[in-house]
Amino acid sequence: MRDLKYLQYFEDLLQQANNELVEQAKKDGKVCVAYTCENVPEPLLNLDRAVSIRLTAPNTGSLDIATYYMTNLLCEPSRALLERAVEGGFNFADCVITPDGCTMMNRAVENMELLHTMGKDNPNFFHAYMEIAFKNTENDVNLAVLQCKNHILDPLREKYGIDTSDEAIRKAVAEHNELCALIRELGEFRKEEKPRITGYEFHVLCLATYVCPKYLVKDKLKETIEEVRNREPDDKAWRARVLLVGSEVDDSGLIKLIEEQGAFVCCDRFCFGSYPGRTPIVLHEGEDALTQVCRHYIRNCQCPRMMSMDKVYGRKKYVADLAHEYHADGVVYEQVKFCDPWAYERMLGSSMLQLDYGFPVLSVDRPYNVSSSVGQMRTRVQAFVESIEIKKIQKGEKA
Amino acid sequence: MKTVEKVVNPVRRRGEQSPSRIYDEKLKVRARREWRGVKDTLYDYTRWLYQVYVIGKFILLPRNVKGFFRYRWMMSYLFVMHGMDKFTIGLRDEALRITHTAMNFVIADVTQAIANCFRGDRRVGNDKAYSDKCVITDENSMVTFMMGFDTQKVHTILREVPTMFASNIFHQFNVMHYLDIAQQYGIPGDVCPMPEAEAGISIEDDFCVLGSCAVQNNTTCDGSLMGNGIIAKRLEREYGIPTFQLATPLRHKEPDVMEYAAEEIRKAIAFVEEHTGEKWDWDVYFRAAKRVNDATRCRIAQMEINSTPYPQFFGAVFSLYNDTNYMGNSGRNADFVAIDHKLLELAEKGYREKRMYAKEYRHRCIVWGVQPQYVIDMLYWMVQCWGVVPLADMLSIINTDMIAEEDTPENREQAYRDMAMLNMEMIMRNHTHGGYKVLLDDLWDLCEKMNADIVMMWEHMSCKALTGMHGMFEEQARERGIHIMWVSHDLCDPRVFTRQAIRDQVNSYMRTVMREEPLDPALEIIPDNEAY
Amino acid sequence: MKKISALALKILLGIVLGALGFFVVTFIIYFFNLDMKATSMLAPFLEKWFDKMDRKQYL
Repeated sequence: MRDLKYLQYFEDLLQQANNELVEQAKKDGKVCVAYTCENVPEPLLNLDRAVSIRLTAPNTGSLDIATYYMTNLLCEPSRALLERAVEGGFNFADCVITPDGCTMMNRAVENMELLHTMGKDNPNFFHAYMEIAFKNTENDVNLAVLQCKNHILDPLREKYGIDTSDEAIRKAVAEHNELCALIRELGEFRKEEKPRITGYEFHVLCLATYVCPKYLVKDKLKETIEEVRNREPDDKAWRARVLLVGSEVDDSGLIKLIEEQGAFVCCDRFCFGSYPGRTPIVLHEGEDALTQVCRHYIRNCQCPRMMSMDKVYGRKKYVADLAHEYHADGVVYEQVKFCDPWAYERMLGSSMLQLDYGFPVLSVDRPYNVSSSVGQMRTRVQAFVESIEIKKIQKGEKA
Repeated sequence: MKTVEKVVNPVRRRGEQSPSRIYDEKLKVRARREWRGVKDTLYDYTRWLYQVYVIGKFILLPRNVKGFFRYRWMMSYLFVMHGMDKFTIGLRDEALRITHTAMNFVIADVTQAIANCFRGDRRVGNDKAYSDKCVITDENSMVTFMMGFDTQKVHTILREVPTMFASNIFHQFNVMHYLDIAQQYGIPGDVCPMPEAEAGISIEDDFCVLGSCAVQNNTTCDGSLMGNGIIAKRLEREYGIPTFQLATPLRHKEPDVMEYAAEEIRKAIAFVEEHTGEKWDWDVYFRAAKRVNDATRCRIAQMEINSTPYPQFFGAVFSLYNDTNYMGNSGRNADFVAIDHKLLELAEKGYREKRMYAKEYRHRCIVWGVQPQYVIDMLYWMVQCWGVVPLADMLSIINTDMIAEEDTPENREQAYRDMAMLNMEMIMRNHTHGGYKVLLDDLWDLCEKMNADIVMMWEHMSCKALTGMHGMFEEQARERGIHIMWVSHDLCDPRVFTRQAIRDQVNSYMRTVMREEPLDPALEIIPDNEAY
Repeated sequence: MKKISALALKILLGIVLGALGFFVVTFIIYFFNLDMKATSMLAPFLEKWFDKMDRKQYL
């Protein structure tokens, strides 16, 4: 297939947290709201002049300083973020909002606060920590509403004069939905037998919508959709189609590596992927927008930290449904090393997807930056692809 | 750096001077028991007899024998007396009596818990009527949501306590089997071994199966929360036991989580009522609340004594007793009241008579972090070998506020908030979660209050909440002139750090940083790595 | 009367001797840790017993 016109452009944007679009937003007088977890309702960080920027640490190398503060026993993403913060890589942030979701990410941000890594020249800079829901009940919705008011809306209004009215929330949701629709539309091309977009390309575009100000990427995304629509797919057949599930994938190299082994990543169900992160939020008039946004996040949340059993079973069904919808031959459960929630979810998920839903599953742990472990990962994926092919042959299908 | 005045014991220890001779590397238990002088040896002997009686009574019931041969973890309970020997090294006088009073009660409580498990267990006693009135809860569960249920009508079964928590104290290797099972099924080795072992026990089908329902919670950590899903799946799908997940907010110091937490308590109570058919009784609740407050007052008084030059009740026994009383009991069992007061009387007497655990106290220490299960005697060793006296440990620094204890309409509403507060402020998580202030600032406040010059930091290597603040502990201790001694371990997996490897970290610190010689050099290396 | 006194004395002596015997035996067991030494010999057999036992291992 011909390279996408803007692929290189989007790839470049992912090379550093403080990318050119973030700088552009600062010049435009925007308030950069940095955040670290998918459980924070994104539209609330994009009200009025505020723009959400998800913190990432691309091209992570040495983690010496973060390892001193957090030891080498904490997950690499949390240490990578701290390291990058200490290096000054997040100095664009006007505040950091983080939920007490997974312990390690929470500790990373607390260390950032204690080390005064950000906001040195900004008297309005603040850190906010939120309690987030554990279950799928109205009590949890009430908690989320209160937490969003106290730890997102009030400080944004008080510190930066951001309009946090119901109207502003509805406007932000509409813009959020527009972006979600674009990403979902792109993602639909992955369902085709001969897909016109690779999993890698999709990931680059999707990740850019989290780490860049959304208003600055929409046009190029729209143009890219048109380009993909008119694109001639390759004749080569993929050896297998896999659904990727697990911890955040900030390194698109992981997906490239999987696809280089002949396994097309037909769908993504990981933190900051398109499922469930780019699910449009449906609002109606009978209830305030904030409550509806919070309810959406709780109903759709697929975070392993959600502890009620409807969520525990529901997460596996969600993966199985996606696998069917995107015609996946197998599921890859991946987990960043030392991530506790995904360690357990990977174990139970890989077992249930195999035994209860009949999918072949590859269960792997991986470093944050896959380049440090290419050989191991490649071997695991190769073996998995071969096992899927053998299964197909055994079933009498064409491999 | 801060220094404290050395306190010298004016009284020569009765009996043998060093407990080092009771260890023998060829044996997996002690070579013999310690000679503590006539009076204290006889006292220790009578306590041993009492334990023989408790265990003998347990074994006389045929279903308990059946259970013994069904469950691998029961092997640990062959070594109860060996476990007691770990708690009493070098002890005399009030210290010995305090330890026995507390631990005998804890052991009796655990023995009863096992007996209750076997009674209702579908594979052992299979007493269905009893089982239908049982509610299973986690090992790290505050049972406040059971405070208003009559203990004669509804039975709270902390199923994981005898199975995993206590069993590891008596037998250091017994949990390894379950860790291997869990890892064989795909849980990585870097998660906290406690929930991992519990998941392994569930996978191995080595939990007793009983109860009309189960209540799980997220009180400890991400690992514990996630392990619950594995356990609940088997409970629900294989054994048809419905589970309720009691969500407990992490940021417990924030007032905006209280209503959520209180509502969760209401739901948990309703769930128990629905599945056991028993009703919540406010009389029962407020009686329990009075006992909770009484226990709180006793604990505060014990801590006051520990802030003096003559601390009396500390170390693993203090924290295990608090675990049992504060968390596993939560005022439900009236028997704890007498024990609380007896312990306080003994401590007050010890304080008046200036009793000491060792011949010298050189350093006053706060123990922070989570203690390893399989080196439960560590703090007693530390005071005997190096004269470092552990005044308080993180697990014992728990709620000091009184809860509403009079039955009024307002207090019935307040009661839900009180239960929620206690639940959120469960042992350990009240410091490991809730923001860095409860972990860092609370420690420095405590150092000030207890006049401590050294902090022993248990670095449980899989406890991400603690290790995530490693650098900050270092920096802030330096700023305050407080020595910080890191001691790494892996909670209940002795393959990662052996007992001596753990002690060696203290030995190295004391010799190289503090430049001191041990009080009892014979204890520096103890041949007990292979002992149960 | 004398018979009763003698009997009482015998019983008392029996009790004292019994108690003394009980004390001596149990104290020896206690002091030399014979109880734990015995159980530690039993443990390897029990481990084998549990290793052989069929389990329904399942996630």
